[in-house]
Amino acid sequence: MKHAKAVKECDIKIFSCPKLGNSLEEYEDAWAHRQTRTPVGIRVAVADGATESSFAKLWAVLLAESYVRSEVTGAEFFARLKSARRLWRRRLAGRPLPWFASEKAEQGAFAAFLGVQIDAHKNRWTALAVGDCCLMQVDNVGKGMRVVEMFPLQKSSQFTMSPYLIGSRSNGESLNERIQISKGSLRDGDMLLLATDAVAAWLLKQHEEGRPLWKWLYRKLSTPESFAAMIAYGRKNALRNDDFTLVRVIHHDLPVEAKES
Amino acid sequence: MAYQAEISRKNPGCFLFLIDQSESMEDPFGGGEDGRRKAEELATILNKLIHNLCIRCAKSDSIYDYFHVGVLGYSEESCKPALGGELSGRSLVPIGDLASKPLRIEERIKKSDDGAGGVMDQTVKFPVWFDPYWKGGTPMCAALQEATRIVATWCQEHPTGFPPIIINITDGEATDGDLVAEARKLTAVGCDDGSVLLFNIHLSSTAGPSIELPTNANQLPDQHAKQLFEASSRLTPFMVARAKELGMPAAENSRGFIFNAQPLHVIHFLDIGTRPANVHLR
Repeated sequence: MKHAKAVKECDIKIFSCPKLGNSLEEYEDAWAHRQTRTPVGIRVAVADGATESSFAKLWAVLLAESYVRSEVTGAEFFARLKSARRLWRRRLAGRPLPWFASEKAEQGAFAAFLGVQIDAHKNRWTALAVGDCCLMQVDNVGKGMRVVEMFPLQKSSQFTMSPYLIGSRSNGESLNERIQISKGSLRDGDMLLLATDAVAAWLLKQHEEGRPLWKWLYRKLSTPESFAAMIAYGRKNALRNDDFTLVRVIHHDLPVEAKES
Repeated sequence: MAYQAEISRKNPGCFLFLIDQSESMEDPFGGGEDGRRKAEELATILNKLIHNLCIRCAKSDSIYDYFHVGVLGYSEESCKPALGGELSGRSLVPIGDLASKPLRIEERIKKSDDGAGGVMDQTVKFPVWFDPYWKGGTPMCAALQEATRIVATWCQEHPTGFPPIIINITDGEATDGDLVAEARKLTAVGCDDGSVLLFNIHLSSTAGPSIELPTNANQLPDQHAKQLFEASSRLTPFMVARAKELGMPAAENSRGFIFNAQPLHVIHFLDIGTRPANVHLR
């Protein structure tokens, strides 16, 4: 019962679209969300499979699903990817591949990752990231709304075409220096946006140039058509051609009885 | 702004390699310490470049034709397409055709990490598209003229694409005219997105330190190297940034010129999407 209420208080919407010129089957981002029991809340993840790696969609899905099915919020999540990596290898095993595909698969697949756990009781979030998928927290205060947090990148100029990513093959390299963790608190009506790199970089750029879209994202973004309209506008205004994924979470305080139960 | 066009299967990039097959390529490479001829070094470089391009474009169980690739060999008094086997006679070939039609695939032994702190032998596939060959003079100007013709046609057919990149691999001296003047004519060709780019890889018999992407000709060892530097295009800002990411000593005015070094990073100077920083080049 408590469970159902927790989810009801979080309004989650997912928006996605493949790179222009690619088919839907070639879309290589992934997202997942799932309710948690202790603490009561939700876990949300986005992952972005790298263009220059093979079987990256499968790896992005495995990363996102592994996070929402886990209970870990810290860096140790990345030390527990053994079964996801095994699954990735198993899906490829025995598949007849030409020499170039086989050699590319040997390098492994790579993806950027962002996972966020929202504790609905304590009104707090914890985020974990490797790479350039971003979390933006915007509060519902004032006319223009205020950006409270940007994580792990804060400026559009910080995005590059060669970020450090999580590999589907454990090559012994330590991820420790690449793992980013952040925490924050939530107020009633706060909006959390989880975005893959191109759309995140563009939203930050719009914000930096005094044309923020936060209010529009909060009030107007509701359907796949409205997301498509935003992407069409973006494509005319310096949005890089890529797969796009945007997860919008609007947080509402739990009713008192739910918190007490 | 120039050099911004997206490379995709619909709007592919173009690499045209010009290969010196003159008699002087029989001479030892880099002072001859490891007993290799320049022609053998060139064949190794070209096979590795094509191999890496294939791997770059491999996607799951297929390959995306992000690039079309040509190889022109120049020797004796002529210049002609140098790919062999089923690709014989073709001047530009989609990368997928190159991947599926090498001359042969050899198996070679590579040392690799055994995961327990040791080293083990691993058998790897080594496709070969090109074998060493040398004969006669160095008609490099004829090669630049033929390249000009090929890329002019390409630019007409792909007016909104990324401009072609020509990579000339040579031991230095043209025997048929003014190299710099012909290079100027070549780089005057262009698409909407900018002029074609000419890079030069100089394989010398002289031992000495490698030089990559210099900004001036001061440190270059001889007149041939200086002339090739003069004929080389400046790197675009993206290429400078990518070269730095890959650990090369690039600067704002760097030219696409490499002296006695492996030029494998050059094929990563064009962007086709997110490249994981933690994938190490072969």
